[in-house]
Amino acid sequence: MTTYQPPTGARDLLPLDVAQKCWIEQRLQHVFHRWSYHRIITPTLERLDTLMAGGAIQPETVIQLRDAEEGLLGLRPELTASIARAAVTRMAGATYPQRLYYNANIFRRQPAGDSSQQEFFQAGVELLGGAGLLADAEVLLLLTECLNNLGLEGWHLILGEAELTRSLLSPFPPALRETVRHSIAHLDQVGLQDLDLDPALQERALFLFDLRGQPRDVLQRVSCLDLDPAQQAVVNNLKSLVELLEENLSLTLDLSLIQTIDYYTGIVFEVIGVGESEKRILGRGGRYDQLLGLYHPQAQMTPGIGFSLNIEDLFQALLPTNQLPSHIPPSDWLVVSESPQAYGAAVAHAQQLRTHSTPEEFVQVELDLGGRSPEQIRTYAQHRQIAQIAWVGPSGSVQVEQVST
Amino acid sequence: MLTVALPKGALLTESIRLLKSVGLDFSGFLVSANRQLEILDAGGTAKALLVRAQDVPVYVAYGQAQLGIVGYDVLREKKPPVAHLADLQFGRCRLSVAVQASSSYRSALELPPHSRVASKFVGCAREYFHRLDLPVEIVPLSGSVELGPLTGMSEAIVDLVSTGRTLQENGLVELEVLFESTARLIAHPLSYRLNPDGLNHWIEQLRVATPAVL
Repeated sequence: MTTYQPPTGARDLLPLDVAQKCWIEQRLQHVFHRWSYHRIITPTLERLDTLMAGGAIQPETVIQLRDAEEGLLGLRPELTASIARAAVTRMAGATYPQRLYYNANIFRRQPAGDSSQQEFFQAGVELLGGAGLLADAEVLLLLTECLNNLGLEGWHLILGEAELTRSLLSPFPPALRETVRHSIAHLDQVGLQDLDLDPALQERALFLFDLRGQPRDVLQRVSCLDLDPAQQAVVNNLKSLVELLEENLSLTLDLSLIQTIDYYTGIVFEVIGVGESEKRILGRGGRYDQLLGLYHPQAQMTPGIGFSLNIEDLFQALLPTNQLPSHIPPSDWLVVSESPQAYGAAVAHAQQLRTHSTPEEFVQVELDLGGRSPEQIRTYAQHRQIAQIAWVGPSGSVQVEQVST
Repeated sequence: MLTVALPKGALLTESIRLLKSVGLDFSGFLVSANRQLEILDAGGTAKALLVRAQDVPVYVAYGQAQLGIVGYDVLREKKPPVAHLADLQFGRCRLSVAVQASSSYRSALELPPHSRVASKFVGCAREYFHRLDLPVEIVPLSGSVELGPLTGMSEAIVDLVSTGRTLQENGLVELEVLFESTARLIAHPLSYRLNPDGLNHWIEQLRVATPAVL
């Protein structure tokens, strides 16, 4: 006999899973709304070239589809590319800044033989058209409030500055610069030591590799380098940013937090959940001032900064806190017709009870579907933790019974 | 608590000696009657996990161990997302292509196209022959790779060579060296960045101790 399974790496979310996921998403959305961010929904399926324009996405990590007319399409592996495309092509003439948030599924193709997850959920924001210190601070403070609103303790922010690190790498000979950058990005200190560099550059490479720790300490160390005015300005900016943030969160400044491609153009950051047994990345983000220009027909530059939070990782981090719903919400009422003649009255009574719902709180009413003895109905109500049974008679009489638990 | 993943096999004794020199004593793993896979050091400051060499970077990549010691060969083959922090200099060996001494091949390029190459290091072997632009069929094995050419299953092997004695005793000769390997100190990237439990202090100590222990 055939058994039907979801594809490897795909999963079903049953009602309790959904209730837990919604618990997280709603708390995030409340924060987004309070900070005046508006939701945007972009297509799950995009042209592959749209997804890859930023340079940060490798085609082999995208689940691809070939369409006879559209060519190569891909299931989005993240939202920023889609939002950048939508913003510059569909929102032309809109005033900036635009504060956008999303709550969506993303897909990642796993290498052959790897059965790990392929579909994930992310919630995040993009602040488009905002440059400078306050925009950076807004996004990081918003991120902080998101995590606080989830009641998550023990998380930590790692902050880097992609532009500063990139310019600190400029003294390296072009032939070796990418290797140095790759080694720093991947924390490969042995690789750095093995490079054929003259001693002063070798020392510089190892110095850059170690630029992490308490923000003030790191800023002091980086100031020991011979900084040009532009670099000095970035360092001053970082200093101000750290001062704005310090009181609100636990922060490591890490100038080795870089990628191997020029996607981010300013601050970059990762949120780490520090659990008892495992540390996991809960979300990440950064400033991307070049990205929107790539999608604009006239290559017009608009600054942008954003972050994404991984719902699955938040879920794992929240599990030990016992805050997530442990069951699906039970019905408030079970409405039972005492005989077939009472069907009309029961339907009407159930509907009347439902009208007591408010936007904040629903009254959940279910109708007994018949065919059970009163005893069976009581057992069912107990089992489902339904608080009250309304017995409706043919005349429209209603007897309320409290269900003992 | 600081947790270190240690590899069973050739690197274990030296790894334990190095850790001992910085004050972390896991010599319980060397007692032949030992069956424990997890032990605390005498001072109660750190824990060690005894795992197969290939699994050391797995425990480190997932963060169950913040530190690990493993051969570069394993890192090169598995490419795990871990921080490579120090070349510990011991456990020196090389990954080589070898053939039967009686064969006429004197370099890897002389192997006929589409010949079979047996190896435990499937990824490294594939990458090497791909770079040579020589199409071969890689036969994955999990041990006693030398039997490949002896039984006629494969023309060549790609395997670790330390003294060369095993090759010699099985009538094989080394043609090419893919790379040299030594033991490496690796760390869980997030832990390395966040530096919990004085992790960087231990890393620094191990680094300083490396030349001294040798």
